[in-house]
Amino acid sequence: MVEYDVCIVGSGAGASPVAYTLSRAGFSVVVLEKGPWLTENDFYKDELACCRRSVYTPSLQDEQHVIEDYDGRNKNGQYKWASEATSESGWDFWNGNCVGGSSNFMSGFFYRLKPVDFYLRSEFGPIDGANVVDWPIQYEDLEPYYAKVEQLVGVSGRVVKHKFAEPRSTKDFPYPPTIEHPIVEHFDKACESLRYQSLPTPRAILPHAVGTRRGCEYSGYCGSYGCSTGAKGSGRAALLDDAVRTGHCKIIPYAKVYKLDSNNKGVVSHASYYDENGVSKKISAKIFVVACQAIETSRLLLASTGVKHPEGLANNTNQLGKNLLFSAGGSGTGELYYKDMSRQQSEAFKRRGPFINRGLQDWYVIKDKKFSSQLKGGTIDFLLSHPNPTTRADSLKWDDNGKLVWGEALKQKVHAAFTEKQRFRFEVFNDWLPTDDCFVSLDKTVKDRWGSAVAKVRVGYHDHDLVVGKYLTQKAETVIQQMQAKNINSSVSGSPPANLVAGGCRFGDDPQTSVLNPDCQGHDVENLYVTDGSFMPTGGSVPYTWTIYANAFRVADIIKKRL
Amino acid sequence: MKKHNKKNNKQYRNSWELYASSLPANSKLLNSRRHFFKQTTGLMAGMSFSAAVLAKNKSSESLSQTSDEPWLTISEVQEHLFPRTATHNTLFSPGAKDINAIGYLQTMLHLPSANKEEADFIIKGVGWLNGVANNQTGKSFIKLNDKQREQVLKKISASEAGENWLSTLIRYIFEALLADPVYGGNKKQLGWQWLKHQAGYPRPPENKKYWMLKRKLTIKDAYSG
Repeated sequence: MVEYDVCIVGSGAGASPVAYTLSRAGFSVVVLEKGPWLTENDFYKDELACCRRSVYTPSLQDEQHVIEDYDGRNKNGQYKWASEATSESGWDFWNGNCVGGSSNFMSGFFYRLKPVDFYLRSEFGPIDGANVVDWPIQYEDLEPYYAKVEQLVGVSGRVVKHKFAEPRSTKDFPYPPTIEHPIVEHFDKACESLRYQSLPTPRAILPHAVGTRRGCEYSGYCGSYGCSTGAKGSGRAALLDDAVRTGHCKIIPYAKVYKLDSNNKGVVSHASYYDENGVSKKISAKIFVVACQAIETSRLLLASTGVKHPEGLANNTNQLGKNLLFSAGGSGTGELYYKDMSRQQSEAFKRRGPFINRGLQDWYVIKDKKFSSQLKGGTIDFLLSHPNPTTRADSLKWDDNGKLVWGEALKQKVHAAFTEKQRFRFEVFNDWLPTDDCFVSLDKTVKDRWGSAVAKVRVGYHDHDLVVGKYLTQKAETVIQQMQAKNINSSVSGSPPANLVAGGCRFGDDPQTSVLNPDCQGHDVENLYVTDGSFMPTGGSVPYTWTIYANAFRVADIIKKRL
Repeated sequence: MKKHNKKNNKQYRNSWELYASSLPANSKLLNSRRHFFKQTTGLMAGMSFSAAVLAKNKSSESLSQTSDEPWLTISEVQEHLFPRTATHNTLFSPGAKDINAIGYLQTMLHLPSANKEEADFIIKGVGWLNGVANNQTGKSFIKLNDKQREQVLKKISASEAGENWLSTLIRYIFEALLADPVYGGNKKQLGWQWLKHQAGYPRPPENKKYWMLKRKLTIKDAYSG
């Protein structure tokens, strides 16, 4: 007798739509979450809690990754790889381990993929050294679910005409945009004079109360902070709270799943997990859904060996963990000095709270004589620099030569940085091409605190990513130059942003080249589904969260029909 | 692999402030880099100051005894690194003592979740500092005038271990300056006022300090409260 209809591993953007949909349909659902169950009553604007201590993420001594990075080339010109445990490097790849996952800590700027993102290979042709493929579904298959996310998770925004605008089944967003920062007017003028189209950014933040969730209070501390009002569309606030209220969804926090057990027919029978006291337990279910963010999803499936799955679940063609994706691109800042403005303007620019809500997608597809053919481009998002004061002050203690500064010199430096200017910032998002140099495997020596092998992640990138990233970064710089910003500084690198991760279990029609079928069901495991960002064969040139939510709603409908 | 040394921290500072990860990755960096402390052990071997002072100060009543060593010396170093200055653009410009940087540091180092290696490093550094001060002047650090103190700190910052020690102290001074006053620093919000910093809300209450948010989440952070 199985205990549950569905057992879900993880509780973030990929997990919560499944829990929501199936519990509301009356099926019994259990959600196993490794971290604590924090709520609005636990989230304060506390920089130590959010960002300087391991409160929402594990201590790297207890749980870590091993990162394999470029380390030059050997005599034959081949890449060499050097691996380092993150407890040694401090390079943290955790993004929020608590009920709702990292969706608790996003800043919620949401973009849909565009139709072209579903057929990059057909549209732009092959690229040497990259494993670009078309998706097995089209934009039209996902569109109803993007619309559903707007409604249920709560996306605020404003539809405008744009040459790359995605087709919509609804006329406009269900919620009007959040309040915008006075600097936006300045930004819009700069774009207008450059003949760029300033685009309002949709945001997964409610501008007013809806149901039990309060509207945004514009504290000015959003990204990397938990939301105190419920306005932010985390999987917890938007979906899991409702799922629990149905009486059909049980959430078990501090439940660290370390293996999915499969029987001699190859079917998953149990999830094995350690509870908060470190005691090993098992839960049985008809269907298992894995959604614990791309790296950990691949790790769990690799560790879940069985009679029929000697290399791990859904890995009978050795595709599991391959073609991991981050987001390529870069970022930059420019400084707007208050002394160059009227008093009225400087007071306005000093404000913290309202959103910038602006981006550029003029070059989502690049058609430029510089390049012999059209290229897939990307998105540029604009924002104010992160307000965390301690982190910012501490970064100022080194001078240009890398020597420590202290005393009055340090105080003056910090005072000037905080009081004389506003820092305007941009971030570039373009495709991180899938390659054979970016994948997840199990490390042979490093274990987590329960004794399980940790994920080893090779983080190689494709040089093409930098070509596109640099092109977009130059465009972004022209905007902040036009805004009269000083000390403009930008960087484009192949360093992976640990918080923008997908792939590893790509979906496709052919079991030889993919892990999941188009329903996000394991090719060789009929009661296993993966609903986080792992399914994506290519990432698109936007943050992934909206697409993860939408696809998880799509797969939830498939599971519902099956049950 | 040696390539992630201190100066390379900026490697992780390049992009994507959108979600939780990028900032924690930077700011937790020093806490979690064990070799940062390891590399100093050789240099500190033979220093006379006893690490036992930390153990001695573990009882809660001694937490407030900043007149005891090593806290007295650390407090003087903090004030030198971050001195009160009479005016700064006509605004009162607080120093380390004004914001209770020493009380804040004591609180942090005595938490069950504190990084013991780091705490040890900070305490042992006092012995090392006094060793250098004695060599140069025949006196301990707190007996020196401002100019001599500067010379001693310059001297120790010339070594990597010494620079690491000072930069660790500065990191805690900035936390004491700008973290929420609920943690004991930033007295009367002097740090926020001085930098015209607009704090967020709601602010953390006494019963929601960060170490109270998770129960027994990790072995290292085992918390009985």
